[in-house]
Amino acid sequence: MTSLDPVNATPTGLPVSSEALSAEPVAESGRAGAATWRVFRRDPLGVISLGLLLLLVVVALAAPLLASYPASYGSDVLKPPSLQYLFGTDSLGRDVLGEVIWGTQQSLLVAVAASIIAIAIGTLVAVIGAYFKRLDVFISVIVDLTLSLPVLPLMILIAALIGPSTTTIIGVVAAFSWPEVTRLVRSQALTVVNLPYVDAARLMTTSPVWIIGRHIIPAVTPVIVVSVVVTASRAVLSAAGLAFLGLGDPTTWSWGRILYEAQQSGAMSSAWWLTLFPSIAILLLVLSATLLSIAYNDARNPRNRAR
Amino acid sequence: MHNHSTRRGTMRTGRRRGRVLTLVTAAAAITFVLSACAPSAPEASTGPVEAGNDTLTIATTTDVVNYNPLIGNSRSDYWVTNLMYPHLLSIADDGKKEPQLATEWGYVDELTGFYEIRDDMTWSDGEPVTAEDVAWTMNAVKKDAPSGTFYGQLANFVSAEAVSDTRVEITLATPDTSIVEEIGFWGNVVPQHVFEKAESVATFANDGSDGGWVSAGPYLLTDVQVGQSYSMDRVDEYPLVEGGTPVAAKVVYRVFPDVNTEILALQSGEVDVIANALPPAQVEQLKATDGITVEEVVGLGYAHMTYNMTNPDLAKTEVRQALAHAVDYDAIRTVVLQGQAVSTGSSPLMPVLSDYYDKSIKEYDFDVDKSRELMESAGYTADASGNFPVSFRLIYSLQDSVTSQWAQLVKDSAAEAGITIELQGTERNTYLAQTNDGDYDIYAGNFAIMDDPVTNFTLSYLPGGAINYTLVDDPELNELIAKAAVTADSDEKISIMRDAAKIVHDEVYDNIMYTQNLYFAHSSEWEGFVTKPSELLSIVNPISVASAHKTAAQ
Repeated sequence: MTSLDPVNATPTGLPVSSEALSAEPVAESGRAGAATWRVFRRDPLGVISLGLLLLLVVVALAAPLLASYPASYGSDVLKPPSLQYLFGTDSLGRDVLGEVIWGTQQSLLVAVAASIIAIAIGTLVAVIGAYFKRLDVFISVIVDLTLSLPVLPLMILIAALIGPSTTTIIGVVAAFSWPEVTRLVRSQALTVVNLPYVDAARLMTTSPVWIIGRHIIPAVTPVIVVSVVVTASRAVLSAAGLAFLGLGDPTTWSWGRILYEAQQSGAMSSAWWLTLFPSIAILLLVLSATLLSIAYNDARNPRNRAR
Repeated sequence: MHNHSTRRGTMRTGRRRGRVLTLVTAAAAITFVLSACAPSAPEASTGPVEAGNDTLTIATTTDVVNYNPLIGNSRSDYWVTNLMYPHLLSIADDGKKEPQLATEWGYVDELTGFYEIRDDMTWSDGEPVTAEDVAWTMNAVKKDAPSGTFYGQLANFVSAEAVSDTRVEITLATPDTSIVEEIGFWGNVVPQHVFEKAESVATFANDGSDGGWVSAGPYLLTDVQVGQSYSMDRVDEYPLVEGGTPVAAKVVYRVFPDVNTEILALQSGEVDVIANALPPAQVEQLKATDGITVEEVVGLGYAHMTYNMTNPDLAKTEVRQALAHAVDYDAIRTVVLQGQAVSTGSSPLMPVLSDYYDKSIKEYDFDVDKSRELMESAGYTADASGNFPVSFRLIYSLQDSVTSQWAQLVKDSAAEAGITIELQGTERNTYLAQTNDGDYDIYAGNFAIMDDPVTNFTLSYLPGGAINYTLVDDPELNELIAKAAVTADSDEKISIMRDAAKIVHDEVYDNIMYTQNLYFAHSSEWEGFVTKPSELLSIVNPISVASAHKTAAQ
């Protein structure tokens, strides 16, 4: 785990006291959830981040109301930001504000879709590995192997081979994001499967599906929630990177495509607004997602609640 | 090979009719075409400029991959090797050939061509450049078949012989009235005494590992820093440049990641010239920038779309016409190309080929109602939302930013006519593979030099032609092209070609959209560049680089 991983802030991976153990893995009941929210509310960074994320979601959903879809061309080419064009225009005279707004839709779609796929695969593999000890060795090897692959060159290779489209981007990003999720969830799940209540559950049923579904997955949900946010922001970065390299969907607006087209048209050196605004959008999304996950993580930590 | 923005190996040379027709004299040949477009460019100073001690730094975006000019190559390869290995012929703005190493050329009889070459050129190791070098190069290329345009020109070539120190004669398999100029323009001449040591010229790396390079000028490659720079020193004797010696003492090609960084480097004075053509949207801005001069280079090629006739829908003439009328050509030229392109009247005979150009052929109007009528007369009925039950997949290269931009406009305007176009922009190699396999409904791309109509029509519209992307086979058109190829009388040939162009236009066998003029930027501290058509030659052709000098005030 890198030091940037917000989950590191939890005592999960460390030798933990029995008190912490009993408090930690319990699924967030109504009371625990309310407690988390109370603590979270007091963290201004977390609230601001949540607000920003919600704002981006609203922008994405309300795109048709906020700006018309960027036309194929306009007459005012490469105009700097003004009252008429708040974010300026690009080399085909299209409104950059419209491109950024419609790009939000695509970027959030990639973020959500890729992280859902990654989370689903990652969690499933993690809990199976944690529950069935014999598979765990095998799964750990696969995860370590995938994590050690040079991700960016492989993403570029695959995207180039399959051809650029939104589906490709989602698939590629998801394919390289799930091992990170597996690693996070597995470390938590390993603790959970050894807890007395899981042993108790084994006495009640022989169905591992039931135990995993009813007891283990709920216990690791907080970690999953954190991974969703982290994976999503990483997906946005990867998607923007691929799009900037010309491997994004060339027919749908995304933040990466705005950057790519600015580079292709040779306008980067003169038209600062072409790169500034989509970059700010990417920064906002990634930063707020990261801060949100840290704030949430802090808030659900019982030690912080006590304060 | 000679990459323009999208295609390769398709630039064609002019055609020489019948026997020896015009013998162009060397003295009258090299004209200095200084562009009038540069607002701040002072007139070139009069009188020859003396060779100085300056270094001319040129920006490029790619490394040199092949140092062997006989192997298919990229732009940087072409630019660097072009300063060392001379061509027999050069090209003028209207596509006519001009002397370079050769002073005279033509035909002895139907099956024999000839070149007379200069007697005052030497290789940098002191050996003279002789007819032996020329003949040996041609024979070696024929024998070893290196991949590239040069070998592609040798289909009807049998052998070459140096009949004297300055005269080469080539024997042909069948009469071919364009081959002398084609070989002369596309083929480099390499030093026999260096290249013959290699087993095959097709595999010879010529990477200087055997004691450096041997050049006939104007410059000699001396130092290579892969990924960074290619340094070349002046060759003292270069008779093709005024004064006999290249002006700049050194030429350094520097490698940059992309055109944005090249522009920044030019603005900061790090480089003196950008070898790549400027993106259309940057031209006005750079023209207005102090200290930067922008030169215009006429276009000698065209951008086009072709409709794959093996698709049953596109096999119908009305459907192709409907598509042709659903494109806003004016908007594409004004917005995407910023007015830097001219209409060809939707004809492959571009205005720049003034002899052939036919004013009576008019560009397809942008008229979506007409498109709808044509679709209906082809038997299609629009659904409730006005869309016809057709969908076409248009391919283009993502590396070609201009085409990528107008492809979107084509899609949007076709949608107005109820025709669905699905854009498929891909990475260049995928695009080339799709093109070769005919894996597209509509192909969008461009050619850098299309100066000889008969050769172009042969390749573009005859069945089996290398660039017959429409996959057309029209007996009437085939007959006209075949007839033009054996017609010696110039007026008659032009008339036949105009008839052929009319068929191509009316049947929409090709949708020629514009000829793009290119713009190149250099520092105002330098002047004396000589422009030549296309990005390959532009202002970095050997004569231009050898003539460039610092402005008088410096």
